Amino acid sequence: MALVSMLDRIGAGDRNSLKMLYEATSAKLFGVILRILLERGEAEDVLQEVYITVWRKAAEFDATRASPITWMVTIARNRAIDRLRARGSRPTTTLDAAAEVRDTAPGADVAIDTANDAKRVNAALATLDPRHAAIIRSAYFEGLTYEAMSDREGVPIGTLKSWVRRGLIRMRTVLET
Amino acid sequence: MTELDDIPDGSDAALALDFALGALDGSAMRSAELRLRSDPAFARDVVRWQEQLGPLATDVAAVAAPQSVWSAVDRELFRTAAPRPVAVQSVWATLAIWRAVAFGASGVAAIALGLLVSRPAAVPVAQPTSVLLAASMASTDSAKAVLITATYDPTRGAVILTPAAADSSRGLTPELWIIVGKEAPKSLGVIDLKDPQAHKIPTALRAQMNSGATLAISLEPAGGSPTGAPTGPVVAAGKLAPI
Repeated sequence: MALVSMLDRIGAGDRNSLKMLYEATSAKLFGVILRILLERGEAEDVLQEVYITVWRKAAEFDATRASPITWMVTIARNRAIDRLRARGSRPTTTLDAAAEVRDTAPGADVAIDTANDAKRVNAALATLDPRHAAIIRSAYFEGLTYEAMSDREGVPIGTLKSWVRRGLIRMRTVLET
Repeated sequence: MTELDDIPDGSDAALALDFALGALDGSAMRSAELRLRSDPAFARDVVRWQEQLGPLATDVAAVAAPQSVWSAVDRELFRTAAPRPVAVQSVWATLAIWRAVAFGASGVAAIALGLLVSRPAAVPVAQPTSVLLAASMASTDSAKAVLITATYDPTRGAVILTPAAADSSRGLTPELWIIVGKEAPKSLGVIDLKDPQAHKIPTALRAQMNSGATLAISLEPAGGSPTGAPTGPVVAAGKLAPI
């Protein structure tokens, strides 16, 4: 069964579909969470939270706007980064809201094959200056703020923002070609 | 096609990108969240960036999660035996979530969920203000004995709480909650499980004290829930009904 159909049924309260979705996606999401948190016990807690969130929010999933795996990955990543920030002394805020966005406009992005997507995104990243690509990657996986990235890279914050934003726009241009 | 427009700092486009990446700090993040809820065009932009970034994560190597994680999810959500109507789902989810906040799965609380779930969350029917409402709040252990009765007197804006069993607060602070339909529980304040008492309902919440609303008691740290949502096990629950 396609992930979209599973989410659809989960939204209608079907438990078996949640189990199926878990079996189909938990290793992937656990990998992502572990990559961000590095600590196994915490990653397990977050993974559990993610599927509870998926159960709760499945009815809100809009297949015309987001692909199922990206939707779930966004939830997983945001939860993991929330946890990461809660650990440190940095001010925390909930990234989870980012996964809640929805609107009624018809969407342009429709789910495409996942592995294919990853290849294309990596190819797009590879067209950037390697340093900029590395910063975008670490921003994505480490949940670093611009300020933290700027400190770490030893470049002014304005320069860093410009690298990241221009890099992402360039990637988009490549992806949409 | 390869024109690389820099997104001006401070523009909406920049904010959407930064937010999707998670690169904003606390206050900027909060203002972006507000925009997200009020501005569909902005929200759409954020989702577009998330869709672009998402495949990065799918490239990460999969790692099998231990069986215990699924067991925990299953216990959290599906501990009760009977299938429930979809309408009750979000009450259940809300309870599961708030229970997950501070305590691990405890048998007591899991049964509390079952208790609440087994009673369909009917849309509360507004009552004329003069009608007394009562809830027999059953304990959430296997005995399901009535732990306390709550009688709401709309003219006083207070509930009369009458304990019917030994105090089971175990040194924690009992807190009274109201759950209306699918909404999150709202605190009605900390109470006492030992002695009969009149407990004032906050003015803003009196309009919600209607037939069909669920009252529940959770055990909280001294002073009550630190988060504004229940954090401890639910020890008793019952629905308000006219008497």
